[in-house]
Order: sequence, then structure tokens, then C-alpha cells
Amino acid sequence: MDRRTFIKGTGIVGITGLAGCTGGPQDGSGDGGDGGSEETTMSGGDESMNESTTESSGEGSASADINVGVVYALGGLGDKSFNDAAQTGVKQAEEELGITYNEAQPSSAEEFPQFQRQFAQGDEYDLVCCIGFAQQSALKNTAPNFPDQKFMLVDSTVEQDNVANYLFKEEQGSFQVGHLAGLLTSQEFAAGGGETSPDQKTIGFVGGVDAPLIRKFQAGYEAGAAHADEEVEVLTAYTGSFSDPQAGKEAALSMYDQGADIVYHAAGASGVGVFQAAQEKGGFAIGVDSDQSKAEPDYADIILASMVKRVDTAVFESIQNVANDEFEGGSTVTLGLEQEGVACVYGAEIGSDIPSGVKSEVDASAEAIIGGDISVPTSTQ
Amino acid sequence: MSNANADAQSTLRNLSYRQGLAVGTVGVFVLVGLLGVIFPGSIANDLFRIITSRSTLSSALRLSVPIVFAALGGIFAEKSGVINIGLEGLLIISAFTGVLVTDLVGASSSVFFVPAVWVGFLAGILASTLFSLLFAIVCIEFRADQIIAGLAVWLIALGLAPFAANVKYGSPNSDNLGSAGTFDQWTIPVLSDIPVLGAVFDATPVVYLMLLAVPLTWFVLNHTSFGKWIQASGENPKALDTVGVNVNRVRYAGVLLSGVLSGVGGAALSLSLGQFIGNGQTMVNGKGFIAIVAFLFGNYNPIGAFGASFLFAGLEAVQLRLQQVPGYAIPDTLIQTVPYVTVIVVLALVGKTKIPKAAGEHYESGDD
Repeated sequence: MDRRTFIKGTGIVGITGLAGCTGGPQDGSGDGGDGGSEETTMSGGDESMNESTTESSGEGSASADINVGVVYALGGLGDKSFNDAAQTGVKQAEEELGITYNEAQPSSAEEFPQFQRQFAQGDEYDLVCCIGFAQQSALKNTAPNFPDQKFMLVDSTVEQDNVANYLFKEEQGSFQVGHLAGLLTSQEFAAGGGETSPDQKTIGFVGGVDAPLIRKFQAGYEAGAAHADEEVEVLTAYTGSFSDPQAGKEAALSMYDQGADIVYHAAGASGVGVFQAAQEKGGFAIGVDSDQSKAEPDYADIILASMVKRVDTAVFESIQNVANDEFEGGSTVTLGLEQEGVACVYGAEIGSDIPSGVKSEVDASAEAIIGGDISVPTSTQ
Repeated sequence: MSNANADAQSTLRNLSYRQGLAVGTVGVFVLVGLLGVIFPGSIANDLFRIITSRSTLSSALRLSVPIVFAALGGIFAEKSGVINIGLEGLLIISAFTGVLVTDLVGASSSVFFVPAVWVGFLAGILASTLFSLLFAIVCIEFRADQIIAGLAVWLIALGLAPFAANVKYGSPNSDNLGSAGTFDQWTIPVLSDIPVLGAVFDATPVVYLMLLAVPLTWFVLNHTSFGKWIQASGENPKALDTVGVNVNRVRYAGVLLSGVLSGVGGAALSLSLGQFIGNGQTMVNGKGFIAIVAFLFGNYNPIGAFGASFLFAGLEAVQLRLQQVPGYAIPDTLIQTVPYVTVIVVLALVGKTKIPKAAGEHYESGDD
């Protein structure tokens, strides 16, 4: 009986310990790798109590005096799109400006405020980058509590004097790829591992979490497709998660089964399932956030284009502003087609097979959007 | 009139739990079908079209694979008297190990003519089995509380797999192995040409494996002496001990089998996609818990558990398609609660789920 109580007790302590330290901010300074991350996970129960005071190693601080903390969006690094694009910006700043940085990959929305506060307290970081719209409500509470800490937020706005906001006109970029998809589904086109069936004008869209931001992608895409051809039917589905490739694959498969030629995704890591479905069914896919034909070379033969969102530019610019002492707290920078914050980038492998007539029409619609002749909706009805 | 009514009532009462469920399910389908035929253009018509499409069937089969295997494993463990709520953790461990080993071997190479995917598949099963052995030792040898130990299995896996992925790949998600790192489709000629049902014969090997495992598990549990031991160990371990069978050994076997079967499910999940996603709840995303719900719903019967898993997976497949029909967007978050709501309704209203009597209790033989 004694042994039993003992084991029960150890079990409870162990679990509490594990639960208490599911990851502190990760030390990515220096080489940018994060091999040493989450060591705290393995530590015992009592250590977890003072785990919140995360250490940031002082190494490399001699070479640079700018230190940046990055809190990524859900989906984590290695999503080959959104978060990886943000990291590219940080790494660029590391190379060109000689900054040091620490990164944190929250595994649930409850961890956003925790990581933001950990970076903000103690005056160690010159800038805290908050990546993704889901951090807005957390930052709204964190920012006023640390008035001397500079923050930057991507994809949403917090109106505080110490927060620089960066927004993208995703609907414009999505309009571009929607236009491309609409034009191609109406004609006969074959390249790499896919081909279209011109008799059925159907394309698809797979979203991650059903949120206003992702609806912006959908709205732009649908408007672009309608701009190409009023008859084009756009099938849409949401997987409910940015990290469920199985659901992404099933959603896309069902679209190809219904005759869709091209499926565009805005679903983070779930999007890999879309590419796989395209390869299996001999259709095309359109990537998102970064040039996915390069990030996922295995699927380059079916990735027509990617709606690139220059999160890296936003992150780099904000760090550069801090380095040059030009940080504009309380401002909101909106990056659209005109500022090249979003763009339709053709696939590295099959992009060159797209007829030049189609490309010039897509270019023309970009001009029209910049010129204000086409206004792109930002929400679906 | 009243006579007929009374008759109908007594027949209803005589229907067993399982028959009742089956009749109910078929009834709902027939109702949807009838409404669909009568009112073209209505939601019932769209539903009917989606439910009877071949694409939905093959999708539901693929989605049910991890749930079914974990549920079968859970049946073995719980029937033998050990409540294993760590199925989710076993799925996570095997999903990760499957991808890791496939990647280490080299996705397009092979070992002794065994393609890397299958090597990874076996490695995933092995990892999950070892993990369940640990759980068995803690529960049976050291008499830890089974619920707490099961929770620990889940939490350890939830931390360990993304951590290991971080060490290897620098992120909680693994690299993508490409199409070489996934199972090929096996198409059976002629049979796969059957309309709608042909989807069953045009699937990945893990789907066939699932369709084999369900009757096999049923047979082992009900028609072999090993199956009888498992059942006795959960219902009346004293009696089993009296006839000279080592109860603890039977329970070890039960828990290890749950590790093997969950391993098949987890490795099948990740190797059907060629990538492990370790962020948040990982790519397993609660499938292990749905499996527990499924075998409770199926009243510890492998066939029933398969039916329940297939129902839940089918709902997911239908939901993804129904979203694409303009007009009615059913929020997926609502659909995802269906399994849990179902089990509460079943447990509260039907209340016939028979939990093995000695489940969760330690058995101490009088010998030592």
C-alpha cells in the first residue's frame, strides 16, 4: 500500500512537472538552430516552478546590441509557409544587422500571453515580434503592461504606442492566383504532374481555421476566379486546424473528385495534404505565404504558383527600424500588391509552362488593382 | 390497434442494444434517402448524394484507420482489466517513429527488399509496443493508478515526439518524405470497378489491414482460449487464477496488444501522409480519445467499435463535403463534438455499455 501511494504521488508530481513546462522560449541565438530547445520539458517537478524566468544566453551579445524575441503562430516552424517566412526575415536581420534572437513556438493559444510576457519582462529584448493574427487579443493585454517594451504584430492591429502593426492585403494576392486558376481551368493545360479538364470549370479552396483572416484569402480567390470567368465554380472547405494534413488531404481529394482542376490552400501545415491530393489525382495546387514549389520540392511538379506574402520583409523591416532607432510605435503598415507585400509567384518547375497570354492577363489585373480599377472584397458573404 | 402497439413495444424491448443501434442507424439513412428522393434540391438530397458517393466512402475508410486500430487495442487492454487511456500517446509515438525511421532508412531505398515505408511502419509498431510495455510494468508490477499512468503515457508522448522532432528536424514538424515515403494505392482489378462499394477495393494497404484486423480481433476474443482468458481476467480474475492461468501475464498480453494495434494505427496515419506534424495536439489530434469513445459506444465488441469509428470518420468525411455545397456551412467545430455527445447520450440514455467488472483493479494472487 505504501508503495502504491508513493507511485501515485510520484505520478502526480511528474505529470504536473511535465504539464508545467511544456516548452519555454527557445534559445535560437547564434546559429539560429534550436537544438537545445525544450530541455525544460524533461526536468523534474519542482524545477518547473521557477521555470518561467527563462534564461536567454548572453552569447554573441558582444557583437550586437539588438536582441529580438519571436513568438511564432500556431503551426510552428517547419510549416514551409507562414512561420518559416517569418524566420527567414529574422535570419536575414541576423546576417545583415548582426542581431541576436530567441524564438518560442507556442503549442496552444493560451501560451501566447505567457511567451509575450516572458520576452517582455526583464528588459532583455529590444523588440518582441508577435507573428500571426491569433496573438492580437493576448498582445492587447500584454503591451500596456510593458510600456517600454517595443512590440511588432503581423496580421492584426493593437493600437498601442509601443506596437508596430503590419497588415497584408491577402485578398489582392489571392485575387491574382484566383484569376490565374480561373483562366487555366477554362482551357486545356497540362504541365508536370497535372492537367486540367476544360469541360468543367471548377476550382477549389482549402482553408485552415475559419477566421476572418482566412476568409480574406477565400474572398480574394473567389473574386479573382469570377473576374476570369463568371461561370467558374469555387468549392471551399475548412479543415478546422493548421496542423491536420489528413483533413487537408481529404478535403482536397473530395474537390478533385468533383472535377476541380486547381486547389488553392491557406491552411498552414494542413496544406501538405492538399499537395499530396493533387499529385495523387493529377491536378494542380497553389501554395501560400512562401514560394512552396521551392519549400516543398517533392511537389514542385503540381504547384502552379504561390500567393507569396512577404512576412519576412515585415519582420526584417521592423527589426531594421529598431536598429536604426526609427521604430514607429502605434503605426500600421499595410503591404499590398503595390508595395510587393503580396504577389503571385509562379512555380519553379511548371510555372514556365503557363501560357504567356494567361500571365499577361494576370499582370493586367494586378495593374488594375493597383490603379484602383478593381476593388477586391475582403470578406465573403 | 392497441394490441399492435403493445406488440411493437415488446418487440422493441426485446431488441438488444446492438440491434437497436443498427436499426436506428439504418433508419436514419433510409429517412435521409427518402427525404432526398422526395425533395430534390433540399439538404437531405445533398446529404444523400454525398453519403452515397464513392469518394466519401473511401475517405471515411481512410479516416477511420487510426481510430479503429486504437479502439481494437483499447478493447484488448480493457477487457483484460487494465484501463488504457494512453491510446492517444501510443498513436503519437508510433506516428513519429514511423516517419523518423522511414526517413533514416531513406524514403526511396529498402532494407532486405523491404521498402523503407514498411520498415518505418514496423518500427512505429515496435516503439508503441515498448511504450505500452512501460505502461504495463508501471500498472501491473508497481500497481500505479491506471488512469494516472495512462494520462502520463499521453503527456509524455505529447512532449517527447515534438521534442525529438525538434532535435532531428529543428521544428516540431518533420520534413516531408514525398510520395516515396507513403503507402501506394492497391487496386484490386474487377472488384474495384463496382460502383460506390468498389472504393473498398481501391485503397491503401492499411485500409485492407484494418478490414482484416476487425474480424480477426472478434474471432480471437470470442473463439479462442486466449480470448476467454482475456475476458475472464477482466471479469473475474479470481476464477482465472483458480484454473491455473497467471492473471498478470494475461494482462501484460492485453496491454502489449493494445500497444501493437495502436502502433499500427499511428504509423498508418503518419505514413499515409509522409510527414509528422508535432505542433499543438500533433497530427493525431484526439483520435486516441475518439477511439476510447468508439469502443465504449461499440460495447467492447470489435465489430461495434469498427461501426462506431466508421460512423465518426464518416461524419468527418461528410462534413468536409457538405461545406462545399453552397448554402449550409456546418461549423466543423460542431461536428467534432459529435463523438463525445454521442457517447454521453449512449451512456446516459441507453446505459448498456458493460464495463468489465475488474477493470481498473489490481489483482493479487493468493500465491505469494
